[in-house]
Amino acid sequence: MKISDYTKLLEIKETASKKILPDKPYVAIGMGTCGIGRGAEVLFDSFERVIAERKLDIIIKKTGCFGFCAEEPLVNIYIPGKPLIILHRVTENDVIPLIIGIEKGIMPYRNVLCRIEEWDFITEKYEFGKGLTEYPLWNEVPFFKWQKKIVLRNCGLIVPDDIEEYIAVGGYFPLYNALHKMNPVSVIDEVKKSKLRGRGGAGFPTGVKWDLMAKVEGDQKYVICNADEGDPGAFMNRNEIESDPFMLIEGMTIGAFAMGASKGVVYIRAEYPLAVQRLKGAIKQAKDLGLLGDNILNSGFNFEIDIVEGAGAFVCGEETSLIHSIEGKSGRPSPRPPYPAEKGLYGKPTNINNVETWCNVPVIISKGGDWFTGTGTEKSPGTKVFSLVGKVKNTGLVELPLGSTLETIVFKIGEGTGTQKTVKAVQSGGPSGGCIPVEYLNTPVDYESLNSLGAIMGSGGMVVMDQDNCMVDVARYFTEFSNGESCGKCTPCREGLSQTLHILNKVTEGVATSEDLDALVKLGQVIKSTALCGLGQTAPNPVLTTLRYFRDEYDHHMIEKKCEPGICHSLFTALCENSCPLHMNIPRYLQLLKEDKLEDAFETSLRDNPLPGTLGRICHFHCQMKCLRETIDAPVSQGDIHRYIADTVYKEGKAQKIYARLIKEKLPPTYKKIAIIGAGPAGLTAAFYLVRLGHDVTVFDSESEAGGILRWGIPKYRLPLETLDTEINFIKELGVHFVFNTTVGKDISMEELERDYHKIIIAVGAHKDILLSVEGNELDGVVSGMDFLKDVAKGIKPDIGKNVVVIGAGNVAIDAARTAQRFGTDVTVVYRRLKGDMPANKDEIKEAEIEGVNFLFLCNPKEILADANDKVRGIELMKMECGDIDLSNRRKPVPTGESFIIGCDSVIMAVGEEVDAPFVKEFGLKISTDGVISADHFTFKTSHPKIYAIGDAVTGPATAAEAMGIAKKAAEVIDYKLMNKRRFHKLNRGFDYSDDVPLKPEGGNRHYAIKRPLEERTGNFKEINLGYSKDQAYAEAARCLRCDVRINTNTEEE
Amino acid sequence: MENKFINIIVDNRAYQVIKGSTILETCKEIGIKIPSLCYLKDVSSNASCGICVVDVKGAKTLVRSCITQVNEGMEITTHSPAINQARTTNLELLLANHPKDCLICERNGNCELQELTVTLGIKDTPYAKTKPVEKIDDSSLSLVRNPEKCILCGRCIAVCAEVQTVHAIDFTGRGLRSIVSTYQDKGLGNVACTNCGQCALVCPTAAIVEKDETKEVFEDIYNKEKIVIVQTAPAIRVGIGEAMGMEQGALVTGKMVAALRKLGFDKVFDTQFTADLTIMEEGHELINRIKNGGTLPMITSCSPGWIKFIEHFYPKSLDHLSTCKSPQQMFGAVAKTYYAEKLNVDPRKIIVVSIMPCTAKKFECKRPEMNSAFSYWKDILNLTERDNFYDVDYVLTTRELAKMFKKTGIDFCTLQEEEFDKPLGISTGAGVIFGATGGVMEAAVRTAYEVLTGKPLNKIDLTAVRGFEGIKEAELDIKGTKVKVAVAHTLKNARALLDQIEEGKSPYAFIEVMTCPGGCLGGGGQAIPTTWEIRQKRADSIYKEDRLMPLRKSHDNPAIKAIYEEFLNEPLGHLSHELLHTHYEERGIY
Repeated sequence: MKISDYTKLLEIKETASKKILPDKPYVAIGMGTCGIGRGAEVLFDSFERVIAERKLDIIIKKTGCFGFCAEEPLVNIYIPGKPLIILHRVTENDVIPLIIGIEKGIMPYRNVLCRIEEWDFITEKYEFGKGLTEYPLWNEVPFFKWQKKIVLRNCGLIVPDDIEEYIAVGGYFPLYNALHKMNPVSVIDEVKKSKLRGRGGAGFPTGVKWDLMAKVEGDQKYVICNADEGDPGAFMNRNEIESDPFMLIEGMTIGAFAMGASKGVVYIRAEYPLAVQRLKGAIKQAKDLGLLGDNILNSGFNFEIDIVEGAGAFVCGEETSLIHSIEGKSGRPSPRPPYPAEKGLYGKPTNINNVETWCNVPVIISKGGDWFTGTGTEKSPGTKVFSLVGKVKNTGLVELPLGSTLETIVFKIGEGTGTQKTVKAVQSGGPSGGCIPVEYLNTPVDYESLNSLGAIMGSGGMVVMDQDNCMVDVARYFTEFSNGESCGKCTPCREGLSQTLHILNKVTEGVATSEDLDALVKLGQVIKSTALCGLGQTAPNPVLTTLRYFRDEYDHHMIEKKCEPGICHSLFTALCENSCPLHMNIPRYLQLLKEDKLEDAFETSLRDNPLPGTLGRICHFHCQMKCLRETIDAPVSQGDIHRYIADTVYKEGKAQKIYARLIKEKLPPTYKKIAIIGAGPAGLTAAFYLVRLGHDVTVFDSESEAGGILRWGIPKYRLPLETLDTEINFIKELGVHFVFNTTVGKDISMEELERDYHKIIIAVGAHKDILLSVEGNELDGVVSGMDFLKDVAKGIKPDIGKNVVVIGAGNVAIDAARTAQRFGTDVTVVYRRLKGDMPANKDEIKEAEIEGVNFLFLCNPKEILADANDKVRGIELMKMECGDIDLSNRRKPVPTGESFIIGCDSVIMAVGEEVDAPFVKEFGLKISTDGVISADHFTFKTSHPKIYAIGDAVTGPATAAEAMGIAKKAAEVIDYKLMNKRRFHKLNRGFDYSDDVPLKPEGGNRHYAIKRPLEERTGNFKEINLGYSKDQAYAEAARCLRCDVRINTNTEEE
Repeated sequence: MENKFINIIVDNRAYQVIKGSTILETCKEIGIKIPSLCYLKDVSSNASCGICVVDVKGAKTLVRSCITQVNEGMEITTHSPAINQARTTNLELLLANHPKDCLICERNGNCELQELTVTLGIKDTPYAKTKPVEKIDDSSLSLVRNPEKCILCGRCIAVCAEVQTVHAIDFTGRGLRSIVSTYQDKGLGNVACTNCGQCALVCPTAAIVEKDETKEVFEDIYNKEKIVIVQTAPAIRVGIGEAMGMEQGALVTGKMVAALRKLGFDKVFDTQFTADLTIMEEGHELINRIKNGGTLPMITSCSPGWIKFIEHFYPKSLDHLSTCKSPQQMFGAVAKTYYAEKLNVDPRKIIVVSIMPCTAKKFECKRPEMNSAFSYWKDILNLTERDNFYDVDYVLTTRELAKMFKKTGIDFCTLQEEEFDKPLGISTGAGVIFGATGGVMEAAVRTAYEVLTGKPLNKIDLTAVRGFEGIKEAELDIKGTKVKVAVAHTLKNARALLDQIEEGKSPYAFIEVMTCPGGCLGGGGQAIPTTWEIRQKRADSIYKEDRLMPLRKSHDNPAIKAIYEEFLNEPLGHLSHELLHTHYEERGIY
C-alpha cells in the first residue's frame, strides 16, 4: 500500500499513535548494539517467554538505545496513564518481579533510572502520564540534565523497525511538506537559514553545499550518506541508524529532492551489521509505503537508496576515497578540485553528508531554520552528538547544544572519572583530533574553539583520560592507528606518519633525543600542510597537541626514562617500582624475603631507600595504588613487608653487618664539599647517597636533631623515635657531618656556604601552615597544625583546652586531631567536602574515627568566635552542599547559606603548608609564583649554578617518599656534575633470586597487620600499628605476581 | 570569446598568464621551475609526492602546483621557509626508505630522485628506515621491478592504465605497506602485462628496469667459437645517439654500425632488411585476404606488446592479425637458415642479437614457437628437442646497448660512419619508417599499390598516416577500389579499433597498430627521458633517413629479390610459411 495523499499519511499517524500510547502496558527493551552487548537480547527473550507463558496482555517492543551505555540494558515500562519509566541495569532476575508488578499495575521500585511524563519528539509531542514523583524526571538525572535531544529525539523511545511508529511521532510530514508545499529552492533556503554545519567534522555549511550541488547541471545526480564512522571510541552514527533509521532516510530524501538527485547511497561500514540490517528493513518499509522509489507521496519525485557496505577503512570517511570505494576501487583519495559536486560518483554530481547532518534535516524542515538557530551558538547552531567514553563514570551518547563546554560533557554529564583518579585530558575527534588538557575544559564545544586548541570536533568521539593514561602512549596509539589507516598514496602521510610512529616508539622506549621531539613537530607541521586528504592533514593532531600540552611527559620519558603512569613498559621494572618515588625494586625484596634471604631483602631496600623502617611506616604507599594483584583481589602490602624486613633485621641485630658493607664500599674521597640545608627526609637522603659517593657532606639544620618532619611532624604513635634514630645514626656512621641549631641566613650566611662548598642543596621542606583567611583567625587559641605537632614532639604540653576543632583534611589535620585527642580533648575535624575527598591516608582517617575523633563534613568555617578576652570560644560553620563535579574530579562544595555554631576552646588550622625560608629570597634565588623555589624539573638546579633545591621546597607539600625520590635523583645529578662521570650505579649491587613467576596467585587474601587495641591507646603515644608476624610477612610477599619478570618474545613491529 | 588571459601574482610580482594551465606549468613559462617529482607531463598527475607545493593565499594548506589551476587574482608564493621545509621534509621522508646505493644503481646519473636531492640540497637523511623490504619481481622476461626503489609516484600505473589500458599494475596494500604490484602479487611475468616497458620509460628511479642481458651478450662476443651477428631496429638509429650524449633525435646510422663493429659483433645487419621482407609477405597476405575474402581488417603483427595485448584482451579477434612474424623474428629465422647456409656453418654457432627500442621483444624472442630455424635444421642435422635453439638469442634495448658502448670505451660521437654488412644489411626507406607510427602502413601501401596495380606509385609519401594523432585513417584508391586503412599507436587507441571490429563496425581493410606512443621511436627500451618533443625529433630523423635512401620501396630491395630467388621462392610460399609466419594463442586476463 502506498501513501498517496496527506489524508492517508495522517490516517496512519492517528492509528499509529496508539503504538506510542497504547491502552495496555508495554515493555520496551533497548536493543542497540550496546544494549545487546550487555545482555538485552537475553532479556528480551526472557520477557517474551514470561509474557507468553502467563498469557499476559503486555506489549513487548524492541527499541533502540536511549544513550546511557554505562547503565545498559535499559528497559522502558509503560502502564497507561502513568509516566514512562526507564529502568537501568536490568537483569534476567528482574523479569518476573517486573512482570508481576506490571500485571498489577504497580511500577517497579528497583533499577529505576528516571521517569518521563511527556516527551517532545519535536515533530510531535506525547504525554505519557503524570505522577510517580518518587523517581527523578529524566532531565533531573545528571547524565541527561544538560542534554538537548534533537537528533536523538526518537532514539530509545520508538521501535526502529516500525515505520508507523516513526510516522506516529511526526515522521514523514516534513517530507510531505517539502514535496508539496515547498520547492527545491525553498528547502535549500530553509537549510541555509538554519546555518546547519556538517556534522562529520569539518563543519562546512550544509545549505551552501546543497546549493552548489543544486546548481550543477547533470542528467544523474547522487546523494551519499557517509556512515563510515571509524574513529576509535565513536559510535554516534551507528546508534543513530540503529535507533532511528527513518530519520536518516527522510533527511536524505528531502536533500535529494532539494538537489535534484534521484539516487542515494548509504556508505556504511560492514562492522555495523545491526545498523545495516535495520537500514535495509527501513528502506524496504519506506518503499512499500511509497516514501521511497518512484513518485514519492504522489509528487512525481523519484528517489532510490542503495546501501554499500565498506570494509572499514578509516580513509573511506574522506569523501573522494568513499566515492572510489563505492565505485569498487581502492579507497584512495584524489585531489580536489574537482569537488564531488562537479564530478563525484561515477563522474556525476554528488553530495555527501554525514549521518548526523542528514538526521537534522527533517527537524529543520518541520520547525524551520529559525527555530534551529535557537539552539547552540551564533556560528554553530544546533546540537552535536558525542560518544563519551574512556575514564568517565557515565559513558554513553550525549547530545547537547553546540557551545556547551567540555566541562559540562565530562564533569556534569559524565560525572568525572567515577574513581579517585583525576581527569587529565579529553581526546576529541578521535585520531584526527587533539588532546585537550583538563585546564582547558571550560572551552565551548564548537568548530572554531576546538580548532584553536589544536583539536577538532571530528564526528564526535570524546575519549576521557585520567592520570593513569600516558599522553605519549596516547599519541603513539592514535598515530599507530592513523599510520595503519593511511592509504599510502601521498608521501607526507605514508612516510611521515611512519616516521612519527617510529619516533614515538623511541620516546616510549626512553631512547629518544630532543632532536627527535623537534622532528616530531616538524613532521607534524609538514604532514598537516602537505597531506593530500583530511586523514593526513589531521593525523598529527594527537602528537602536536600532546607535545603542546604535555611536553613534560615527553621530557620525563626522554630525560628521566620514566613513564609515570606506568604504561610504557620498556621504562619500568614493575608497576609498583614505577609508582615508587624512590623506584625501589619492590619485587626484588619481596622475592628475597620469600626465599628467606632476609638480610639481602633488607640490603636491597636500604640501598634504594636510606630510611626503610621509617618509610615502611609512614609512606603514602604509592606502590599499592598500581599493584597488579588488585585486579585479582587486593594489592600486595609492599609497605608492611618493607617495614617487617627492617624491623626484623634491627631486632635481630643483623643491620650492623650490612651497614659495615656499605661503609666499606664507600667510594674514595673526592674532596668535594657539599652543604645540605635541612635534615629532613630529602636532606638525609641526598646526604646518604652523596657521602657514599665519596663526597664531604655537611647537613645544617636549625633544630637540635635530624629528621625534620619525620621527627617534628609525625606523631610517635605512627613513627617511634627508635626506628628513626637507628636509621639516622647509620647516616651519621657513613660519615655525614651534622651542624644543628644553625639557621641559615641567621647563624651562617649563604655567602659563606657559597664560598666554602662546591655544591649547596636546599632541602628546607614546606612546613609553615597556611592561615585560612577567616574572621577570627588571629585569636588566642587558633594554632597552626605544624606548630602544634612540633611542640608536642618537643615534649611541650599543649594548652588547647577541652574542645578542639581541627580544620583540614590532610595528614597534618588527622595527625593533629589524633594527637590532640591523646591529651584528653574532644576533637572535631571540619572539612568542606566529603569524606571520600579527603587527601589524608585512608588508614589514618579510619583509625582517627576508631579513636573517637568527630568529623563534620560539608562544613566550612565562617567565623571563629571570641570571648571577651579575645580567646576562642567557638566557631561558626557554614553548611555546604555538593555541587557539580569540578575539574579536580570532586564535587564542588557550595554554601547553603545555613550556618551553625559549635563551641570550642581552640582551633587547629591544617589546611596546607608552604615553604618558609627567608634566606632563599634574600640570597636572590628565583622563587616561583606559588612560593616554592624555582628549580629544573630534572636536575633540580636553581637559578644559581652551585645551588640545588629538593623536596617540598621545590614541589610544595608532598609525601616524604616523593621528597626522598627527588633527593636521590639530585644526588645522581650533582655527582655527575662534580665528577663528570656516571658513577651513581656503583652504589648498587646484584642480588641472587629466582625469576619464577607463580603460575597461579599465591598467598591468599591480603593480610592486615595487628593494630594496638583501642584501650591501650588512650593518653599515650605508643605505636599503633604492630606490624606483621613472620607468617603474615611471608604469606603477603608470596602474593606478588612478579609482573617484573618479562619474557623476551621479540615481537617488535617492523 | 572568453578571456584567455588572467592576472596572477607570483612571488610578489604581477603576471598575465594564459588561463587553464596549472601553477606548475604556468610558473615554468614565467621562468620559475618549481621542483617536482611525481608529476609527469601528459602521463601522470597523481599528486602524491608533496614536493611541488606552493603557498596560495587563502588556502588552508599548501597546495600542489602540479594539479592546481591558476585562477584570476591568485597570489602564489613559490618559496618560503615553510615551503622549503615541506619540500625538504617530504624528500627526506622518501629517502628514508629508499636505498642509498646510487653508485651502483642502474639509474645512477639519470635518476629524478637523485637529481631532486641535489636540487634541494639535501645533505642528510635524518629519518630511519621503517619500511619492510619487498621482494624483487623478476618473473617477467622483459622487466624487473624493485619495490624498494619505488617512490610510489604512480607514473607506471598511470601509463599502464591510461595510455595502454592494460592495468597490469596498481597500488596494493595500505600505508607504509603500499606497493605497486600485480594482480594477487603474481609478478609481471604471470599476469596480463604486454611487456611494453612504458612503465620503465616513465619511472623516475630504477624501480622498473628492463631485464639486463648485456653480460650474456658480452660473453658470447668474447667467445671465439660463436659467430655473433647483430640486427638493429629502425628506431635505434634515432635513439642511441641520445643515449650516448648527443642531441635529441640525432640520426646516427653510420656511427652506430661502426660502434657495433668495434664492440666485436661479427656481422652488423639491419632489421630493416626483414622489415622489407615483412612488407613483401604482409603485403601479399593482405592482397590475398582482399582477393579471397579472408578476415578483414587485417592488422599488423610487428609489435610484440600489441600481440600480447590482443592475445589477453581480444582473443576473439586473433584472426585479424597478420600471420607474419615481426621483422626481428623474420631476421632470426633467416639468419640461422639462409645466411647460415650462405656461410656454410652450423646454425648453432650463430648467435643473433637484436638491438631494439623495445622491452617486449625480449619476451617475443623467447616465445616457444620462435624456433623456426631449429625446425628447419632438425631433420637435416639430426637434432633432438634438447638441441632446441631460438631464432633470436638476445634482445638488448637502446639503453643496454649504450651501456655496452660506454663500458668498452667507444667514443661514439667521434666515430667515422660505416655501412651495414651484406646481404642482411641492405634495406630501403620503407624499412626505416617501420620505426614510426604509420610507417608499416606507409611501407605496405608503397608495395601493395604497385603489386596490385602494376603501376608505379607517384606520391610515395603517405602523409595522412604520419604524425602523433591517436588514430589516423586514410582512404586509398587502388584501381578504382576505395580501401580504408587506419593506424593506431598506444594500446588505448588499438582497443578503440578492436572494439569497433568486435562490434562489427570496422570500416577498414588494413590496420597498423604499434604499442608505444609514437611507435617504436617511443618504445619502452628507448633513452630516458622520452617526451613528445623528443619523439617528434626522432620521427623527423626517421623520415629524413627515408627521404635520403636511394630505394624507398621494399620490393625494390635487391637483397629481398635475391632471397626470394635464392631461397624463399615467392611470398607466402612454403618456406615463407615455415620461417616467416606464425600463429597466436589465447591468453587469459588473469
